[in-house]
Amino acid sequence: MEKMKMLVVDDEERFLSTTKKLLAKKGYDAVTAASGAEALEKIRVQNIHVVILDVKMPGMDGNATLKEIKRQYPLTEVIMLTGHATMESAIDGLKSGAIDYLMKPADIDEIIQKAEEAFEKRQGLEEKIRVAKMRKLMKSPSEIIQET
Amino acid sequence: MCRLFNRFKKLFIKKPKLAAAVEELRIAFKDRYHSFKLLLNANNRALEIMANIERALQGKQPFGMTFVRSSCTAVSVNVFNMIKNIEKLAQGKYGKLNGRFNDIQQNIDRLLSQKKSTEDERLIIPLDAVNKEMTDLVGSKMANLGEIKNRLQIKVPGGFIITAAAYERFIRENDLQAEIDRRFQSTDVDNMEKLYTLSSEIQQLIIRSGVPDDLADDVMQAWKQLESETKDRITLALRSSALGEDTQDSSFAGQYRSELNVSIDSIFYAYKEVLASKYSLQAITYRLNRGFRDEDISMCVGCMAMVDAVAGGVIYSRNPVDMRDDSIFINSAWGLPKSVVDGSDACDLFVVSRKAPMEIIREDIKAKERKFVCFPEEGVCRMELTGDTGDLASIDKKQAFDLAEIVVKIEQYYAIPQDIEWAIAQDGSVYILQCRPLQQMEMEKKDIPESEFNADHEAVITRGGITASPGAACGTVYLADKGIDVLRFPEGAVLVTRQALPRWASLLNRSAAVVTEQGGFAGHLANVAREFGVPALFGVPGAVDRLSNGELVTVDADSLTIYKGKIEPLLVKSATKKNLMEGSPVYENLRQVSGLIVPLNLLDPDSSDFSPANCKTFHDITRFIHEKSVKEMFDFGKEHDFSEKSSKQLFYNVPMQWWILNLDDGFKEEVDGKYVKLENIVSIPMLAFWGGFTAIPWDGPPAIDGKGLISVIFQSTTNRALTPGVRSAYADRNYFMISKNYCSLSSRLGYHFSILEALVSERSIENYVSFQFKGGAADYQRRLKRVHFIGDILEKQDFRVEIKEDNLIARVEGHEMDYMKKRLEILGYLTLHTRQLDMIMANNATLNHYRSKIYKDIQNILNSK
Repeated sequence: MEKMKMLVVDDEERFLSTTKKLLAKKGYDAVTAASGAEALEKIRVQNIHVVILDVKMPGMDGNATLKEIKRQYPLTEVIMLTGHATMESAIDGLKSGAIDYLMKPADIDEIIQKAEEAFEKRQGLEEKIRVAKMRKLMKSPSEIIQET
Repeated sequence: MCRLFNRFKKLFIKKPKLAAAVEELRIAFKDRYHSFKLLLNANNRALEIMANIERALQGKQPFGMTFVRSSCTAVSVNVFNMIKNIEKLAQGKYGKLNGRFNDIQQNIDRLLSQKKSTEDERLIIPLDAVNKEMTDLVGSKMANLGEIKNRLQIKVPGGFIITAAAYERFIRENDLQAEIDRRFQSTDVDNMEKLYTLSSEIQQLIIRSGVPDDLADDVMQAWKQLESETKDRITLALRSSALGEDTQDSSFAGQYRSELNVSIDSIFYAYKEVLASKYSLQAITYRLNRGFRDEDISMCVGCMAMVDAVAGGVIYSRNPVDMRDDSIFINSAWGLPKSVVDGSDACDLFVVSRKAPMEIIREDIKAKERKFVCFPEEGVCRMELTGDTGDLASIDKKQAFDLAEIVVKIEQYYAIPQDIEWAIAQDGSVYILQCRPLQQMEMEKKDIPESEFNADHEAVITRGGITASPGAACGTVYLADKGIDVLRFPEGAVLVTRQALPRWASLLNRSAAVVTEQGGFAGHLANVAREFGVPALFGVPGAVDRLSNGELVTVDADSLTIYKGKIEPLLVKSATKKNLMEGSPVYENLRQVSGLIVPLNLLDPDSSDFSPANCKTFHDITRFIHEKSVKEMFDFGKEHDFSEKSSKQLFYNVPMQWWILNLDDGFKEEVDGKYVKLENIVSIPMLAFWGGFTAIPWDGPPAIDGKGLISVIFQSTTNRALTPGVRSAYADRNYFMISKNYCSLSSRLGYHFSILEALVSERSIENYVSFQFKGGAADYQRRLKRVHFIGDILEKQDFRVEIKEDNLIARVEGHEMDYMKKRLEILGYLTLHTRQLDMIMANNATLNHYRSKIYKDIQNILNSK
């Protein structure tokens, strides 16, 4: 079975390095990015399944990055992460396509649990696309995503 | 129409499905199952947060707005996710939920963002123009002072106030609030060390920020105005006068900084220091413990001409620890009143009788070692007293009477006891620097007969000192000396320290009692100790040397005695610690929003009221969605004529009225046809439940015929005459949905229905069992009685139980597998055995018989392997 590949995006260097280390300890493979632009670049060059994305970043902020990721890579699941969540911004993120929301300080087990859920969803989608192809009904992937 | 068509379709278009079509159905089912799982996870998290909110509302633990906000956000995210997933499962059948969700969310948002706002935009107001109606502009401290200066003509130094509007400007212009909120949210506030770091980081943030230009201009202008009035070079004292701290019974004593003898060159730095002290460790913990909202506290700063005092101190217009004592208590020291206020040195005490002619009834002149004085340019310093000065009274009798007169005048004006800071200038005139209401406490009368309380004298470690806060408590000694001790202080210890410094206030909510060598009951620490109901004994000579770290002692502040060990009779009488959260702004805020989150109004799924339009709270939405999601999952197999994922009837000796839907890996092998045998089921939680259900035969009413026990029970469920209110075929059966680690059961047995849901695996932290139970055939009173009867049993088995009307919700979570399995067995047992208990609820003798039988049975279940 394919192994989940995560991308953690945050402008706080310390958070990135500790999270990566903790994830590695639990046997998860994660890459990191310090900005929205860097995140998009990383997703372009390698297959990322799940993105953990900080809301508050200088430059392109979390919600803008989220929209861009969902536009370019609709199969990639995004979990938003924030230190200061107002209800509204949280719901906005979900409406823009984030699968879930985590509040800092989030413990590593919580991050993993949500990432696993997201990964499972993505695999379900991929399987659906595979079967659809097999049946030569060949709806476009985006059509299938929209149905779900 | 649609149903008719479906039936038609089933009758005539039934043909073997193509392998590819089956594969697609399988995928579709898996997809739905995934949505269902996400929905359940979200449901569980939402319920967990609701439980946390309810626990917080018991008021036993302090919490801040961070908790309130993040709970609201987390619960709404989870409810939103449930809506998203039921949309997928039910193809938009319940679109109305979105509207309900948005309404509720907006209402919560409105409650969270409410904030007092003032019309007055002035950044500076001169003290001469201030009165007590201006609390919202200048803070209660300065409003009170302005009032007595301007309306009572009492001598108060000249000055001006940098207002709440100025504070708002400062925060807004530097964009600080969002950053402060963010930092608070990322910090575990129960961890003193983290809190300490947070405190210093935020204070740095404020000090590094700039004062807005127009504010700076206004301050300079006010300074020049003040200087021209006094016709002399002046320095200022900057005092905090925070807004929003003026609720009943809160003192905020010494939580914030005062800057003394500030020159014009350092005024802005001093201003920022005072603002920053809003985030001092003790101020943060104080707000947290007392439930004040961070955003409600605007720091106004009073700037008053510095009085270079010969002597100063604090007066209480009555005895703070004895309501019946109306004497006036004057605490006095040489130099500035600072050493009295911060408890750093011994001070003189004059007790003056109130009745004219006034009389000094007690005079306690202490050996004072130091005094605080002003440097000529700016700043203050502590100076050793030389010669005999230290032993002399710091004020004379006449001055004591003068002070007493002023205090009585102020008290009469405000009509409540007063706590007043004063100073006598070089020219002998008396200035009032601060006045605020004094909290008085009732001295606990200990009616302990001598015979009962025979603490032998060997147990006495020390006698002496003064009651700074009444009561008695027991704990192990912790000798605190340096700032670092704040981080090391163990929960429930007795705080022992040389000086009654305000910085120890942050430890009060964790201390059993406080003992100090220096300091009187007029200091800040004493104030806060009284407020928190922590017994405090101050001025105990040699306390630090005579008590040793880790030693168990009992401190009786009332009788001024410290005993070795635990003296039970003393502790019995001492009142329990005050519940400080209840009624506080944060508590009220949570209570308000919880009304939109926690109450459950949708109780009966069969009622026509059970609809999206009637969802008034987030709990209603979750309840509604949960019910519908189960239905949607069951309908899938039926609607698509998809045998593999259709429900199977349980076959246990005979076919039973139990239908089982295998969500994933709940069966040992796939089942063709109508029935599934028990042996083929591998769902851990379902098997545990079933084990309990069949563990002990049911012998209660009604009498059983010879057909075999269990079948009788099950057959009764198919008899529609026995199940009133049932309208659909769906409702009168028992539905299990299972996977290896999950099961959900919707069941109707006899006259009640229950919903059970459980996740049990090796991963303890995810494990949970939740059980909901409602209804019955008997009258309402008896039904209620039964619900409480069951609730009591479950509570004894560590379930968290919530009962509303005749609806019971019980949860237990986070334990290891074997433990969870036992809880499920108990629920299985109860599901069968409490079935018709409401019939006998009126008869206490029978009830007791059943109760003891049930407890015995449960014990057997718990003991069995």
